[in-house]
Amino acid sequence: MLRQFRLPKQISAIRGYSLALGSVAAATAAGFLADRLRLHESIFTLFLLAVALTSWYAGLWPAVVAFVLGELAFDYFFTPPIYSLRLTREDLAYFPVFALFSGLLIWFGVVRRRVEGDLRHSRDALEVEVEQRRVLNVELEKRSDELQATNKELEAFAYSVSHDLRAPVRHIAGFTEMLQKHADPVLDDKSRHHINMVLDSANRMGSLVDDLLAFSRIGRAETQMTTIKLEPLVQGVISELEPDTQDRKIAWRIGSLPICYGDPAMLRLVFANLVSNAVKFTRTRPQAEIEIDSSNHKAGEVVVMVKDNGVGFDMKYKDKLFGVFQRLHSREAFEGTGIGLATVQRIVHRHGGRVWAEASIDRGATFYIALPKPER
Amino acid sequence: MNMNNLKRILLVEDDPKDVELTLAGLAEYNLANEVVIARDGEEALDYLFRRGSYQTRPSGNPAVMLLDLKLPKVNGFEVLEQVRSDENLKMIPVVVLTSSHEERDLVQSYKLGVNAYVVKPVDFHQFVNAVKELGAFWAVINEAPPGSVKRK
Repeated sequence: MLRQFRLPKQISAIRGYSLALGSVAAATAAGFLADRLRLHESIFTLFLLAVALTSWYAGLWPAVVAFVLGELAFDYFFTPPIYSLRLTREDLAYFPVFALFSGLLIWFGVVRRRVEGDLRHSRDALEVEVEQRRVLNVELEKRSDELQATNKELEAFAYSVSHDLRAPVRHIAGFTEMLQKHADPVLDDKSRHHINMVLDSANRMGSLVDDLLAFSRIGRAETQMTTIKLEPLVQGVISELEPDTQDRKIAWRIGSLPICYGDPAMLRLVFANLVSNAVKFTRTRPQAEIEIDSSNHKAGEVVVMVKDNGVGFDMKYKDKLFGVFQRLHSREAFEGTGIGLATVQRIVHRHGGRVWAEASIDRGATFYIALPKPER
Repeated sequence: MNMNNLKRILLVEDDPKDVELTLAGLAEYNLANEVVIARDGEEALDYLFRRGSYQTRPSGNPAVMLLDLKLPKVNGFEVLEQVRSDENLKMIPVVVLTSSHEERDLVQSYKLGVNAYVVKPVDFHQFVNAVKELGAFWAVINEAPPGSVKRK
């Protein structure tokens, strides 16, 4: 596009003065012709034309030269007394007009050249910038391809590791349990305890592997985006948690939730994780309060918060909160593998959204997710 | 394994430990003796088409085939494809019993016409229960298609 935008070429000083000389000579020659054709009045215009031409193509000083030369030539050849530079009254009528018009023409030329100079300058700057951006884009594309490839490899790696890990874990758990069943009568309490520990660890490793698998699946699954009413989705999540909540005193407060845009299965997983966390971490409260509501938001996104009055956490660990297998509580206090919030973050990021939390120890926690609205 | 015995369950599984665990599960319903085991896809097809070392086995289809997907030589999908495109075998109920949670494995299995898809649970109880229930349902409760071996 920029290359089609042509500016007149700038010409060198020597060519500029030659142009001044040449155009005045041409005007003089044309003047003789006009004189022969009895078009005496147009001769004056011919010299102005010479000045205009020089000013346009060669700039200020050649144009001044053209003006002076034109003035002299006009006086010498075409005003009486002819072939003399002597001034007469008739000249005095012509000269100021010629000077005025020439001045105007030269001024136009100067202004035009200045504008042209600026344009040329910004065009060059733009061209440089465009080139830089092109180089940057190529580099970015390369980096993004590399990243994608690495990511794919990592996903495949995570998948096959966890997949192949599953079988031996299953075997350990299975055979230990068979051992426990058959050998139980001859075992002492210590051995029984050891077998229980083996089983416990195998089962725990099993759930870690399963969680890791599920987590890696989120990265690879295709998202199917659609508009989702969050209220029924959240209600569904809450009723699914009933086995965990029926013996508990929980005051649910569900505000009016926005309609958002995303993959229904994945967003369900997000809320299942957030809500079950809220249920889990309010377990020590005689009366749990869990609030799910929309929150203040910027234009172009919806924000939903899940707030509880549970044990909370120290804000200095807020960056660790969303890491894979990161836990901020001991396993004795609260069970779990530590993949839930990592899953939440991964899904929200895949939706182009943000997730963050606010909390303080023993004062509850609030999790926010912001999802972009669909572009119209 | 006595090849002349008619078996009601064809277990296609390459991992001997999984075979043992599966048999332990089936034993709880006294179904362990009803199982014929194929260690890879090729052996499974040999059994079903009565060729190779199974040339002399009496006719009759298993009441159910428990099929792993990741198998040596001929994989589970290929076995499934051949079974479903054979006039005589296409009615055999096939249960995929696999480690894979993968959606594309699930989708492909159903596209090829499996009757059920079960992910082997890590937890032994769940595993045994899954196998027990599968065996009980397909080999005992379910009315097998004509041409299957009847339970004595």
